[in-house]
Amino acid sequence: MELLLPRIALLLYLAAAAGFIGYLITAEERWRLRAPLLLAAAAAVHGFAIAGRSFQLGHIAVASFDEALSFLAFSLAILYLLLDRRHVLAVLGAVIAPLASLLMAVAVLISSGATELPPVLRSAWLPVHVTLAFLGNAVFALTFATSLIYVLEDNRLKAKRPARRLLQPSLERLDALNHRLLSWGFLLLTLGIVTGAIWAHFAWGRFWSWEAREMWSLITWILYAVLLHGRSIGWRGRRAATLTIVSFAVLFVSFVGVNVFSSGRHGGTFGS
Amino acid sequence: MTARRKLWLVGLSHHSAPVDLRERLALAGGTAGDVARKLLERIPGIQECALLSTCNRVEMLAYGDPEGVDPSAVAGTIADDRGLGHEDLRAHLYLHEDRAAVRHLFRVASSLDSMVVGEPQILGQVKEFYEAAVEAGTAGTILHRVFHKSFFVAKRVRNETGIGAKNVSVSSVAVELAMQIFESLEDKTALVIGAGKMAEITARHFRDRGIGSLMFANRTFDRAVELAREFHAAPVPFEELVRYLPLADVVIGSTAATDFLLSENQVRDALHERGYRPTFLIDLGVPRNFDPRINDLQNVYLYDIDDLEGVIGENRGEREREAQRAEEIVQSEVESFWRWFENLDTVPTIVELRGRAERICRRELERTLGSLRHLGEVERKSIEAMAEAIMNKLLHEPISRLKRVKSPEAGDLLAARRLFGLDDDDD
Repeated sequence: MELLLPRIALLLYLAAAAGFIGYLITAEERWRLRAPLLLAAAAAVHGFAIAGRSFQLGHIAVASFDEALSFLAFSLAILYLLLDRRHVLAVLGAVIAPLASLLMAVAVLISSGATELPPVLRSAWLPVHVTLAFLGNAVFALTFATSLIYVLEDNRLKAKRPARRLLQPSLERLDALNHRLLSWGFLLLTLGIVTGAIWAHFAWGRFWSWEAREMWSLITWILYAVLLHGRSIGWRGRRAATLTIVSFAVLFVSFVGVNVFSSGRHGGTFGS
Repeated sequence: MTARRKLWLVGLSHHSAPVDLRERLALAGGTAGDVARKLLERIPGIQECALLSTCNRVEMLAYGDPEGVDPSAVAGTIADDRGLGHEDLRAHLYLHEDRAAVRHLFRVASSLDSMVVGEPQILGQVKEFYEAAVEAGTAGTILHRVFHKSFFVAKRVRNETGIGAKNVSVSSVAVELAMQIFESLEDKTALVIGAGKMAEITARHFRDRGIGSLMFANRTFDRAVELAREFHAAPVPFEELVRYLPLADVVIGSTAATDFLLSENQVRDALHERGYRPTFLIDLGVPRNFDPRINDLQNVYLYDIDDLEGVIGENRGEREREAQRAEEIVQSEVESFWRWFENLDTVPTIVELRGRAERICRRELERTLGSLRHLGEVERKSIEAMAEAIMNKLLHEPISRLKRVKSPEAGDLLAARRLFGLDDDDD
């Protein structure tokens, strides 16, 4: 029963991914309008699953790695749906929905059941820190999607093989969206780090302990800071898109790497 | 059956006649009705007719028995006293009969016969000229039917195929590409180098799509000033072209220069100055006006005439497939119309008429006898006999009249079909 809802959500995510990719290939209107509905259905089921589990645990369900992946997939879907209420950015869905499906699939596969949270970590800062950090990651995943589409479209235009129909948002729009999302992501990442430090202060009496997650957060924070600064001095278009993709790759690898290999409190089971 | 009435289409179009001839034959607005009436008077055997005149075609569709009528006499009547001899016209005229005439009309209304296939104006023009014929009283049952069917076909073609969805001219493809790069043209500036026809057409396309501002540069400054005035734009001195380059989001080159007007370095400098905002260069020159290496610069897109033609070629392939589907729609609708037209023949009409009467008779008998269950077999039989007798007496006169009709005679036959509502459930 506990795994039923996440599995249904996974199936819906996969269906949405197929729909968005179908739209990308065929440019048919019905896909553009139906795929977001599938994604919304997936997010709704998924939301119930997370709420149910959190209720059962007595705290927000992000303690274990599978919960973290699942929560990230959920944030991604919600954010995309909020961003594209008029379905004009459906091509982004062709990156977002498969990514959410992938995260969800791994989450379902490695699902380990409930994890006890040490009493020292039970605090109101948990949902605040975690929500901010994950929303930040989800926003960066969206910047990755806009940049990937940008690079693909840029390649096609350069190679004189433009899209046969006007299906994508224009390059200018993708670039502007990328800039806006980067600013939001950076703000969320910064707040996530700050709230994490405050929480750490209350839990262990130290703001910063140089563990792997903190190091990697700092590295990605610096990368995104450089990228945003670059944008303000004229890095735009393809260069900005390429750097966004690289930054997200670092973020993604560190997210997975820390959770899999690290033994710190951000690692697998929060035990330290 | 020798004097069978036909649908008959005579005309000339951009496929068959040069523009100066079409111009001289074209009808002035509002005269179509008068000319149609004149045709009914002068051409023997024609019972209904309607005209269509656009800048690409002048055509007449008629119904009647045109046995022995020379098509150029029709054209001569249309040309009337405009100094066009029959001989001038004869070589350029085409004549379609029956199915072919219907098919031609359907194809014209669906814009399959247009110079730019898929252009949307033609349907409105066909409607306009049909209405003129209705007002002049020269269109009757047959033409009403065939024209309404043609509007229906045009709608099907528009809704069910992608005809008309794609642009095919070089300059409209250039604008379409610009829309893939820029979200909106309103805050963009285009620099047009050259003052020839292509430069002007492309500038017009960009202006029609709402480009924020235009600049014109030309080796002969006066021409640049002239064009700039026409477009309410700014002329730019040719020698100082490079200074204005950073301002331009779109650069159109259309000169006969033999050397490159812009080098990679010049564009790179301009790009730096404009903060690497995307730049779209359109090279319409042959030989080329812009160094092709410019395309290697980041956020710069350079399309020369071959690239644009390549994009058009792709569109065209798609268009041909859609056109094929449109032709299939037309063909099936021609057959559907033709079934109706042939049914105007007497025998099927008599059969239909009798069938309809019998159905009504049977239905009413069932209803009546159903509520009179106490009647015996004898009474029932006599009621049935009475109903049948009334039906036969009523049908006797119309049917014997129809039988006397030797050919698909529009008059009595159509009257019978109309009065008994035989065509009502069709369409």
